Amino acid sequence: MSIKLGEVPYKDRVQTGIEDDFMRQAVSSAQGRFRNGRLTQAAELGNWEDWRELGSEIRTHTLQNLDYYLQQLSDNVARRGGHVFFAETAEEANQYVKNIIKKKQAKKVVKAKSMVTEEIGLNKALEEVGAEVVESDLGEWILQLDEDPPSHIVTPALHKNRQQIRETFAKKKGYTGSDTPEEMAAFAREQLRQDFLAADVGVTGCNFAIAESGAVTLVTNEGNAEMVTSLPDTVISVMGMERIVPTWEEMEVLVGLLTRAAVGQKLTSYITAITGARLEGEIDGPEEFHLVVVDNGRSKILGTEFQSALHCIRCAACINACPVYRHIGGHAYNSIYPGPIGAVITPLLEGYDDHKELPYASTLCAACTEACPVKIPLHEHLIRHRQIIVEQEKKAPTAEKLMMKGFAKWSSSPGIYNLSAKMAKPALGPWTKDGMIENGPGPLKDWTDARDFYAPQGQSFRAWFKQRQKDGETS
Amino acid sequence: MKVSLFSTCLSDILFADVAKNTLEILERVGCEVDYPMEQTCCGQPAYNSGYLQEAKQSMKQMMKAFKHSEYVVGPSGSCVGMLKEYPKIFADDPEWAEEAKRFAAKCYEITEFLVDVMGVTDVGSTFKGKVTFHSSCHMKRILGVKEQPKMLLRNVKGVELVDLPMEEDCCGFGGTFSVKNPVISQEMVSEKSRHVAETEAEYLVGADMGCLMNIGGRMRREGKNVKVVHITEILNTH
Amino acid sequence: MTIENREEFLNKLASRLGRERRTEGVERPQWSVTPQEEVFKGMNQDELAEVLEKHCQVIHTTFKRTDRAGLTKVLQETIEGYEGKLIVTSNDPRHQEFGVAEFFEEAREQLDVHVWDPAAGKENQRIAEQADVGLVYSDITLAESGTVTLFNNKNNGRSISLLPKTFIAVIPKSTLVPRMTQAAQQIHRAQAQGEDCASYVSFISGPSNSADIEMNLIVGVHGPIKATYILVD
Repeated sequence: MSIKLGEVPYKDRVQTGIEDDFMRQAVSSAQGRFRNGRLTQAAELGNWEDWRELGSEIRTHTLQNLDYYLQQLSDNVARRGGHVFFAETAEEANQYVKNIIKKKQAKKVVKAKSMVTEEIGLNKALEEVGAEVVESDLGEWILQLDEDPPSHIVTPALHKNRQQIRETFAKKKGYTGSDTPEEMAAFAREQLRQDFLAADVGVTGCNFAIAESGAVTLVTNEGNAEMVTSLPDTVISVMGMERIVPTWEEMEVLVGLLTRAAVGQKLTSYITAITGARLEGEIDGPEEFHLVVVDNGRSKILGTEFQSALHCIRCAACINACPVYRHIGGHAYNSIYPGPIGAVITPLLEGYDDHKELPYASTLCAACTEACPVKIPLHEHLIRHRQIIVEQEKKAPTAEKLMMKGFAKWSSSPGIYNLSAKMAKPALGPWTKDGMIENGPGPLKDWTDARDFYAPQGQSFRAWFKQRQKDGETS
Repeated sequence: MKVSLFSTCLSDILFADVAKNTLEILERVGCEVDYPMEQTCCGQPAYNSGYLQEAKQSMKQMMKAFKHSEYVVGPSGSCVGMLKEYPKIFADDPEWAEEAKRFAAKCYEITEFLVDVMGVTDVGSTFKGKVTFHSSCHMKRILGVKEQPKMLLRNVKGVELVDLPMEEDCCGFGGTFSVKNPVISQEMVSEKSRHVAETEAEYLVGADMGCLMNIGGRMRREGKNVKVVHITEILNTH
Repeated sequence: MTIENREEFLNKLASRLGRERRTEGVERPQWSVTPQEEVFKGMNQDELAEVLEKHCQVIHTTFKRTDRAGLTKVLQETIEGYEGKLIVTSNDPRHQEFGVAEFFEEAREQLDVHVWDPAAGKENQRIAEQADVGLVYSDITLAESGTVTLFNNKNNGRSISLLPKTFIAVIPKSTLVPRMTQAAQQIHRAQAQGEDCASYVSFISGPSNSADIEMNLIVGVHGPIKATYILVD
């Protein structure tokens, strides 16, 4: 079980992303639209910073009292006829769900889009016990048919174009229509409708659990989560343990932040809160409801300086604001959580060994921090990661360590600094032409591979200033 | 008003004109300016790379250098932004926590200082040309200085200021990012260069030499004929 | 009903948080800001109706306004527009109140109306799946987002608003509130007084849609393809 996508080295993944013209065009235009949507919504509210502050306060309070609210939630789910399972690991969570599938002798499982089930590798686990698993979110369904991982947490198939999708439909489902999005969506509707009706079990994620009622809130535009929770007789919701709010009032605030920040909508077409099993006389909804609360490494983050990373409501605003993501795409992060939030939480959940490049895949421009609707200081977390990689994990390159030692000496000794200011121009002289360096030595080489470097203009400012003072005194 | 100039190491060593212009502008608006010779670098290259201990050494040097200053003013949103982070960085250091707070409170980026402290939005300069402005990330997001440079630019006689598409986007410099992730950095700066070219401006103006040497170096490599200037050059032309 | 592995799990969280387990006495703090209270504050029902009407354009939903006397005519036109033959609807006292029951009776020849019937079991779903139109009454209507709130129950199945090809919501003007804040407050207050929420609360804002193929907006994916709101004064 792993949130890692594969074994391709970082440099190669970046290169693959950069060479994928369609993906880059698609990501760039999607980012533009999402970003404009978010900014338009924020402007319309007029006091967006107040909203972010409120979001942040709600998340902070909830995480600080997470044990209390999870207890309240589980009590209420049970009171409303549901079962709750607390899973410390992905394996425990999968095993619990597998047991239900076996007990129910379920043949078909329909799923609504869920990042946490991606994270724990639930689909694979369920296929092991012989269940057919069908993803019902259009984007997820496309990826499932094509056996491709998501590249974005809100629009998972962003990297695919319509011709690719048509081919996948044709190959896997015998589709013979055109590649217009409308026709393909109609085909998906027809196919998946049969799956919904035939499914024995429905599996969902959870956007926000509401502790006071034991409700699980699901946010979609397609209506697939509603199908998944209404038609099968058994429904299993899997939630990351931090996806919880105290009451309906906080759910409302966070849902509004989520839909605005994610897709620029005031609300999505469907926001649904499902509480426990169906009541006496009700036809729709599960007669058996299970809630699986997943830790899977999250508790390691709790109580640390990274705790606010658990405030994330998976809106992808940081991803949509990130210029690095725009150029390399989601797969380059090699995690089901890409972009800035992915670079922060992936090493926390899975360690640095496989993900040590991620904290450096950022210019620290802070566009992510600015976009985050619950004020996670994402770029500061990336710096903290770098500190850990350098100081605790000792994974920094030797040359870099030496350079930084030199830096410390240089910048804390005015004498050495002075000397370097004096020496910079003559030292770079051999490489300098018309005040520019086009082919630099040593550490300058990576720079001058892509751009020219400015040689020192003349004497240093401090030398000039000293001269100016002297001239002033003598004149 | 007594002001200590924080040249930034980059301007001190590579772009001395930026520091000279800053000094002259400050004097022109009536400040008495000194230049503490003990100053070095704000520590950002080490801090952003994860070398906290190394960074702290230069930060302490900076606090010592400006200990007696009333105001510290520098021509870089990014470097001044770093100085403003000192209180957070030294919060748990009993020896330096108080000094870090005092220090950060007196630090200003030059356009911020002119507009917010001196109340000057027109420095009385003249500069002929069509310019576009790159707002650097740390200046607007960490320091929170957004409108001040544009206010000053708009009041320069002869300047035609045109919007830069995707202005809010990073240029791909990111300090050591540019050499640690050269491939991505190149894509980012090429995109920025395209946007600059689209404006058909003669000058690209910015308030951070780090970004400007990245974009300028790229545009020169691409053979684009756009002049890259620090905002202080425009504000000091008269 | 079972709760498994809870104690160990929650004890660990408390220990990570560096304190004893909290099992009672946690209160929500006073938030420093409450912007959600300010949106459309003080607007009357007519002003909210305007907000709703305007937002219906954004969510691809047809908006119609009428009064109690005109409702059946508007309803009839809307159903005809949707080429509705088979209608599924909730077993709702508001059918009488708004004269809709009478209309169904009169239109018996042209319309096959299935009123949700708990005794009919899964047959309800099969009919809803075949239905041309699902017809419901909004319990709370959120002006800002164009949202119909439904407290589903045994007489008002979720399938009604979900499975048919098209969706019609009758919106009594009195159900209009500024935004989701007021709906959430209402449910919260009831819950705090020991009144459990519905097993299924739906907040529906127009027809289903998706932008998963090349970011093209497609209206009508899994749920209804078209939607009409009829506001009744």
